[in-house]
Amino acid sequence: MSDKSTEFFEKFQDKIAKIIKKPKRIYFNIKNEDLREISDYLFNTMGCRLSICTATEVYDGLEVLYHFSDDTTGIYYNPRVKTGLENPEINSITPLIEGANWIEREMYDLFGIKFKGHPDLKKLLTINNPHFSEDDHPMRFNRNRTKEK
Amino acid sequence: MSKCRIPLGPFHPLLEEAEFFDIKVEGEKVVDIEMETGWMHRGHEKISETRSYTQSIFLVERICGICSTSHPFAAVHAMEDIDNVEIPERAQYIRIFIGEMERIHSHLLWLGLAGHFIGYDTLWMWTWKYREPVLQIFEKVSGNRNHYAMFRVGGVGRDFDNALIPEIHPVLDMLEKKMLMLAGAVKDDPVLWSRLKGVGVLTKEDAINYCANGPTARASGVDIDVRRDDGLEYDLINFDVIVLPNGDVYDKLVLRVLEIIESVKIARQCLDAFPKVGGEYLNKVKHISPGEGIGRYEAPRGEVFHYIRSDGSNRPLRHKVRAPSFSNIPTYKASCVGIPLADALITLAAVDPCYCCTERSIRVIDEDNKKLEHNLLTMSREKTANLKKVVAGSEKTPIDRIFED
Repeated sequence: MSDKSTEFFEKFQDKIAKIIKKPKRIYFNIKNEDLREISDYLFNTMGCRLSICTATEVYDGLEVLYHFSDDTTGIYYNPRVKTGLENPEINSITPLIEGANWIEREMYDLFGIKFKGHPDLKKLLTINNPHFSEDDHPMRFNRNRTKEK
Repeated sequence: MSKCRIPLGPFHPLLEEAEFFDIKVEGEKVVDIEMETGWMHRGHEKISETRSYTQSIFLVERICGICSTSHPFAAVHAMEDIDNVEIPERAQYIRIFIGEMERIHSHLLWLGLAGHFIGYDTLWMWTWKYREPVLQIFEKVSGNRNHYAMFRVGGVGRDFDNALIPEIHPVLDMLEKKMLMLAGAVKDDPVLWSRLKGVGVLTKEDAINYCANGPTARASGVDIDVRRDDGLEYDLINFDVIVLPNGDVYDKLVLRVLEIIESVKIARQCLDAFPKVGGEYLNKVKHISPGEGIGRYEAPRGEVFHYIRSDGSNRPLRHKVRAPSFSNIPTYKASCVGIPLADALITLAAVDPCYCCTERSIRVIDEDNKKLEHNLLTMSREKTANLKKVVAGSEKTPIDRIFED
C-alpha cells in the first residue's frame, strides 16, 4: 500500500471500521456523520475521483458503497455507509463533488434513499415513466408498486 | 434580451439513447442547459440478478451496440476480482486485441459523425470507408461484426486463428497511413481549425469536479487511463496515454485520431505475440466465492465500471453497471454554457454519447405565436459553409491538394 493510503488510514483510524484489503481494492465501513469529512479528504486532499456509488439492499438495511478511484496508483477506496430500511437517509456529497449529482438522484430513484443536502433531489431514470409513481422505487424488494390504471 | 427555451429531444439527433436537453438561449447564446434521462432505462442491473454469471456477460454485451465488448471486459474483471482468477497469457492478448480493434472502429465512427455534423462530409465518408475493413476483421476473428461474445470468466471463449495474421497486418498499415494523413489534414485545415478550435471548452477543474473520464477528461489535461492505471492485461503492452491541454472540441478530435494510431500499435504488438504465445485460452472457473469485486475497462468513451457482489451462488447478488457517458454527459452543463446554439450540436457530440440516425427538427414558437422550424444540423452546416467562404475563399483546402497529388 502506498504512503498516501497509510496516512489516510492513520488519520481516520477512529472513524473507520471493518477494513477489507484486497489487491488494489480497499473496502471499509464509516458512519453517516463522517461521510462528508472522509469524502472531502479523499477527493480534495488525496485527489481521488468519484467513480460511482452502489446502493444495495441487504437483510438489515440499505448500504451505499462509494467508489473513489486513486488514478495515480490504481487503488479503489470504498467507504460503506449503512442506513435503515424505513426512511433511509444519508448525507449528500454533491455540494462537495459535482460528479455525485446524478448518481445520488439515481439511488434516490431506484432505492428511495434520501440524500440530505442535495440541491435538486428528484428522480433520474423513472422520472418520465408513467409506470412508476413518485414513491415507487423499483430496485427495492418490498416496493410500493404503482397500480395499473 | 428575453430568454428562449429550446427543447431538444427526447429523440435527439445525436443520441442513440433518447435524452432530453432543455436549452435556454439568449439570442444565439446558450445560457443554461438541463438534461433529463430515463427513456432508455431497461433495468439491466435488475435483470442481471436473475441470470447466471455466464449469462450476465452476454446480457451486458447488449448494453451498447458500438462499444459492445467493453461491458463484458469490465464484467469479467469484476468477477475475476472476487477470486483473483489467473488468466492465460494467450487469452490476455486476445482480449487486448479485441478491445483495441473496437476502440479503432468506435473512434472512426465518431470522427465520421463529427465531420457529418459540421458539414464536412468528406471526413465522414472517408472514415467510414476505413472502418469497414475493421468490422470485416471482427467477422473473421469472432464470427460477428458486432457483439463478438469472446469473453468468459477466466479467459476468452474462442481462440484466435493465427492464420489470419497476414490478412490483418495490411489493414493496420492502411489505417495507420490514413490516420497520419487525417491528422495532418486536421492540423492544416483552416475550416476545421476555425470551426472547432476553442468551441465547447471543458476546463481541467470542471473535468475533475464533474468526475469526467476517458477522452473527455484526457482532452482537458486530466491524465487518466484505466488501461495504464489498473494494469492487468495491459501490463503486457507498451503504449502511450495521449493527453491534450485545451479541452475544446478540436482537442477531442485530435485526441481520438492519435488514439487510433496508438491502438494500431497495440494491435500490432498483439499480432506479433500470437505466434509466440500458445497454449490454453480459457482457465475454466467452476465457482465464484462469496465476496465483492470491482472491474473496470477503458472503453472508447471512457471508464466502464462494474461492481459485482456474490453470495456464493451462480448468480450475482448485486451487479452495478456504470457506463462512461453517465459521468461525461453532466459536463455539458460546464461546456455548453456561453457558446452559440450552432456550436452546441458539435459540443454535445464531442463527448461521444451513443448515436442514432434519427434526425429531428426543433420547433420554436416566436412572439406572434408563429412556428419557426430550424434544423440544427442545417444551422451547423450553414455555419461551416459560411466559414469556408470566409476562410478559404477560392483557395483549395489541404484535402483537395492531397486528392490532386
